[in-house]
Amino acid sequence: MTNPILENIRKSLGRTDQISSPQGAPLSLRPAIYQPRQPESVESEIETFLNEIKKLSGIGQKLSPDGIDFALETLITDQNIRTATVWQTPHLRQLGVTEILNSFNIKLISPNADKHEMAQCDLGITEADFLLPETGTLALYSSTEKPRAVSLLPRIHLAIVRPEILRADMHQVFAEAKNSNYLVFITGPSRTADIELTVTLGVHGPKNLYVWVII
Amino acid sequence: MNETSPYIGFEEYSEHVPTSIPLAVQQATGRFVSGRAARVAELPQWEELRQIGSDIRQHTIENMDGYLTHLEAAVLSAGGHVHWAESGEDARQIVLQIAKENKVKSVVKSKSMATEEIHLNRALEAAGIESLETDLGEYIIQLAGTGPSHIIVPAVHLTKEEIAVLFSKHLGIDAPNDPIELARIARETLREKFLSAEMGISGGNFLIAETGTLVMVTNEGNGRMCTTMPDIHVAVVGIDKVIPDWDSLTVFLKLLARSATGQKLSTYTQFITGPRHAEGEGGPKEFHLVLLDNGRSKILKDPVGRDVLKCIRCGACANVCPVYKNVGGFAYGSFISGPIGAILSPQMLGTQAARELPFASTLCGACADVCPVKIPIPTILRHLRRRVSQGDEFSKPTLSTSIRVTASLASFALAQNWLYRFGTRVLPTFMSIFKRGNWISNAPYPLSRWTKARPLPSFTASFRNWWKKEKDSTK
Amino acid sequence: MTKAQLFITCLGDQFYTSTLKSMTRILEDLGVELMFPPEQTCCGQPLFNNGFEDKTKGVALNFLKAFSKSDAPIVAPSGSCVSMIKHHYAELFPEGISEHDLAIDIASRTFEFTEYLVNVLKVTDVGAVYPHKVTYHATCHYLREMGLKTEAKTLLNSVKGLEFVSLKEEETCCGFGGAFIVTFPEVSRSMMENKVNDILACGADTVVMCEPGCLMNVAGGLHKAGSKVRAMHIIDLLASK
Repeated sequence: MTNPILENIRKSLGRTDQISSPQGAPLSLRPAIYQPRQPESVESEIETFLNEIKKLSGIGQKLSPDGIDFALETLITDQNIRTATVWQTPHLRQLGVTEILNSFNIKLISPNADKHEMAQCDLGITEADFLLPETGTLALYSSTEKPRAVSLLPRIHLAIVRPEILRADMHQVFAEAKNSNYLVFITGPSRTADIELTVTLGVHGPKNLYVWVII
Repeated sequence: MNETSPYIGFEEYSEHVPTSIPLAVQQATGRFVSGRAARVAELPQWEELRQIGSDIRQHTIENMDGYLTHLEAAVLSAGGHVHWAESGEDARQIVLQIAKENKVKSVVKSKSMATEEIHLNRALEAAGIESLETDLGEYIIQLAGTGPSHIIVPAVHLTKEEIAVLFSKHLGIDAPNDPIELARIARETLREKFLSAEMGISGGNFLIAETGTLVMVTNEGNGRMCTTMPDIHVAVVGIDKVIPDWDSLTVFLKLLARSATGQKLSTYTQFITGPRHAEGEGGPKEFHLVLLDNGRSKILKDPVGRDVLKCIRCGACANVCPVYKNVGGFAYGSFISGPIGAILSPQMLGTQAARELPFASTLCGACADVCPVKIPIPTILRHLRRRVSQGDEFSKPTLSTSIRVTASLASFALAQNWLYRFGTRVLPTFMSIFKRGNWISNAPYPLSRWTKARPLPSFTASFRNWWKKEKDSTK
Repeated sequence: MTKAQLFITCLGDQFYTSTLKSMTRILEDLGVELMFPPEQTCCGQPLFNNGFEDKTKGVALNFLKAFSKSDAPIVAPSGSCVSMIKHHYAELFPEGISEHDLAIDIASRTFEFTEYLVNVLKVTDVGAVYPHKVTYHATCHYLREMGLKTEAKTLLNSVKGLEFVSLKEEETCCGFGGAFIVTFPEVSRSMMENKVNDILACGADTVVMCEPGCLMNVAGGLHKAGSKVRAMHIIDLLASK
């Protein structure tokens, strides 16, 4: 098997060995990296996280499980929500998110629905798999229960998260997530400054990002 | 093997820069520069990070064969397809073939320097496939029919009024002069396209050899749309984008957005390893990675010039470059502008770009100070100038004979100090013909190119005589 | 007694006689015994920076020969020329030949004027008096290649009567760039005009810098703009009493 590009690279790099080690340099030989950030107390990490969300024009708050009912009602009124779609995870089921939405007469669309139907949705509710306080970042996997479009197509994205998923730095997230087929970091609502540098939110992705930390 | 793009000529362009361009560009760069400075100030280990970033990129370049081999195996085992493209033409044919096999009629594209480099849109359109740029800035310049003028904000040279006119003309609506409204119109127009396109084409910021993962960094969400909605995802990525592993990635993610836009992280960072596992999760059923060489493997041969391949495309060098800020991106005549363009295009495009661009710098060094992976841009500029002026093992000199003869004469005069001293005695007399007061306002060619913009001080050259009289005689 | 050799640079030689005389006077007043090797010409940077490395060698050899007759340090009124000698001479000659070692030796004892004053002689006050509003343009090679960030300002700080005014984009290139000024005259002009506008806006009546080439560009630009703001080499300011 000859690959002309690899051959050219090998020629340019002055390799003389006859592909004795097809794998090239072992991965472990790369230069050392720096010390990851160390975590602070959970309370302080939550504060840092919410503070960053705010700087990114997101809306973050701490909530007790009992407070979800009222918070959702407020969100529905403020944002004129009529339709919603929800990740099918044990955490969100346990919090009774679907039932609460039903009680407010919100039309629920299956998270696995056709993309055209999903695109009509006002609100997408997910949780997150990891949180990075330093940057105000949500990290989300994808699966049949956690479809990618829920955090992307609706005009509003709400993530209801638990403090247990806080990680001090990207290193820990990557150590746990590197073998998954998909991961996305979400750091604030969709934004652009492409026209005269005017910052505009929600150009393609959600215009508003809500993050509720359940404590 | 690599292609030659139409190149206007830096000097020619620089003499007719539209006045609106420096103003618009300086507004953008000014914001990015202060944003970057604020982020850097927050991070005490910034310099350490830069050094590590530089070391890892250097190491990766020197072991590119190994890492690409790893990468290919990992993408295949994740269920993706890998295509190797030696040239831009190869890459275009690969993409067209995938489109044909899947009966693709329309394509949505997320911003990608690699596809700009190979002019993919033109090829798709020639094959009767609609290809739409979906990054707002790229969408605007696609409507305008031009290339990008800045790596991060490609349409920065256009005003909201000009954009409104473009939207009105192409979308058949009456678009207002309001950036927020214009963005809303683009959202609605493009959303339809995201949902109906059969194929999404993206570039990539990094390729992780360890797991075969494509990393994409975007802000608007169009990158997620292009890689989530259509059934086929094709990523066209330069072979230089490979990095060893996820731990390396932490370094580059910390460097990239801070250097580019002054964000800690861009809004969306996607980590894509092969196609979707289940239909229900969404995302493409096929994932194709097109690895683009287009001259890169040849650049690797030059131990000085190849440092350009360390670049992570943040644009920080352009943002601080006083030359770029006064001419804008079009002057560089290629998909990549600013100082990094001045060292990449000559090595990729050859011919006129090579003769001109390495000289389009004052060697002020501001670029090297901010480069997150410490590319020694001034050193490479000098190195490429040497290739033009005197030739090296990769190329014969291409500079005009008259300039080379002039340089030889200058060299001779400066090395023979009697001749230099003779010149020092006659120059003031000769130049006094042109003197007005203490200034020379109309010097003969080539100094006329100097005095066109500002006068030259008059030649005095009397220190040597003074020293002789005052010092040597008293000893 | 402290000895030093003067390297006046080709631009200094052609255009700045009075600055060179001031430099001589300041150093002699500090008790430095000066020598002036008359065989000196140019450091060769214009050739080197334009890719004529092979044609730079002869010029560099002339410099090395002229200045190796004495062991004394070499002082020049230009950060750019000193940087050429300090950072590029050795690479012109392959390791192992005597010129390479000579280049390293000469590089180790070549200093820019303010660097020599502040870091070698440890002098920060030369007794200058200059009752004006003064701003400072940090020239590129002096700042970045030589890493001289504080020396000029330290010296200005002890000038009596001087009121320092900071310059917007103090560290941005003025557009000189050696051959650049004639290769791309229109770009150079825009850069120079930006610099001149910033100088005019800062309210100073004097702008100083440590580089003859940039000084020629900025002074010419101010003259063309019809401005009364004086552009001068820092040496001329430090010689004011």
